Amino acid sequence: MKGRFFFVLFIIMFMSFSCRNASNKGSEFVFPEADSIPASEAEKLSTEAIEEISKNIASPVEIANLLQVMAVPYSPEYLASSIDANKQTTAFDKAFSLGVLGADLGYLNMYEKTGTSIDILSSIRKLAEGIRVGQFFDFETIKRLSLNKSNLDSLLFLSIDSYTQIDKYLRDNDRGQLSSLMIIGVWIEGQYLATQVMKEYPDPMLKDRIGEQKIILNDLIMLAAPYCDRDTEFSSLCRNLQAIKETYRDVRITYTLGEPESVEENGGLVIRQTETSVVEMTDAQIASIIEVTKSIRDKLILNN
Amino acid sequence: MKKYFIILFLLAAGILVKGQTSDPLVSNCLTTAGPGSKYLKDFRVQLGKAPSAGELRYKAQMSLWKNTKYRFSLCNAEDSKGKLILSIKDNANKLVLSSFDQKTGKTYPYVDFICNKSGIYQLNYDFVDGQQGSGVGVVSMVK
Repeated sequence: MKGRFFFVLFIIMFMSFSCRNASNKGSEFVFPEADSIPASEAEKLSTEAIEEISKNIASPVEIANLLQVMAVPYSPEYLASSIDANKQTTAFDKAFSLGVLGADLGYLNMYEKTGTSIDILSSIRKLAEGIRVGQFFDFETIKRLSLNKSNLDSLLFLSIDSYTQIDKYLRDNDRGQLSSLMIIGVWIEGQYLATQVMKEYPDPMLKDRIGEQKIILNDLIMLAAPYCDRDTEFSSLCRNLQAIKETYRDVRITYTLGEPESVEENGGLVIRQTETSVVEMTDAQIASIIEVTKSIRDKLILNN
Repeated sequence: MKKYFIILFLLAAGILVKGQTSDPLVSNCLTTAGPGSKYLKDFRVQLGKAPSAGELRYKAQMSLWKNTKYRFSLCNAEDSKGKLILSIKDNANKLVLSSFDQKTGKTYPYVDFICNKSGIYQLNYDFVDGQQGSGVGVVSMVK
């Protein structure tokens, strides 16, 4: 009797594992077990690890590119025009706003809206000088490239490279909290742009991109974690990031398996990935993400 | 007088060239990505000779997003002994692409990657056979 029981148990276990392997669904993305990363853990992160994390944050240029693929027209409504660089008093406000306006600059560059980008560049200059990193922003060249519209690639390079250099300089000079703020500002504004467009143009590609931000949310929280107890501004920011994370809790990201296909073309190699990521997100979930993002972003930039 | 104009011209030209990018290798590599490409990131790789050929030594992470076509351009400095190569692995450590065909020894100057799975990927750069070298990998978006 006992032997038969164990035999049946073995068969059930064997079948359940076999079925899992036979599925074409690869795996599912879940947040790491620790819902809130302990500050002590985050503090142990090496400079290299933080640098890696900062590179993982999606570029606003990629979001703007997706909007162009979707043929979404440019709209100044999405910009953080309420930010007045002259009214930013704390380093927190300056660094965060620098990130927000950096995302707006990426959006403007992609749509070649040079008039507005000159105004934003002036604000960026003031903010960067306010935290003593103005030397990394080549304003005159960016302005020139922006005005003559001749070389979008160089314009993007200079804009992105300036932010990369600022980020590195701040980290190398024990001002990592400002670097984290800048990166979080870039992400929040990019997320705001994507979610606001989603309200008017509910495209499945954009919906997926918003849902997929779950993949990097923990990284973003890790960037802020060492500074959550620093002051009230940071504590509030950390709570806000947790609130965003909460809206993503039940968003599912699953993966289907496949082998990449490659073909030679014009001397280069073209690889098509056949594995896919699939986002499952209800209308209520996306509505909640849109609402929470707007509320937090508006609160942060209106505080300024 | 003419001499001053020449000096002034050279200074202005120098400022303009410097303004494009401070590293000419990166600047030149940007142009190889082709018209219509949109710059995202660059990785400056400078390595000595590896004691033995093995794993690619320069590692970096980057998030890549579904429904995007990325171009990974690989450029070598004039005095580089080795040719820059790249392999990319996903978060499950599965090889997604390589710019170097180990069977034939062929290296590709760029790899286009049509991404269908969003995630954080590991980019691994090195020079063929672990040689000493200097180069840059530029990541752009292309249509």
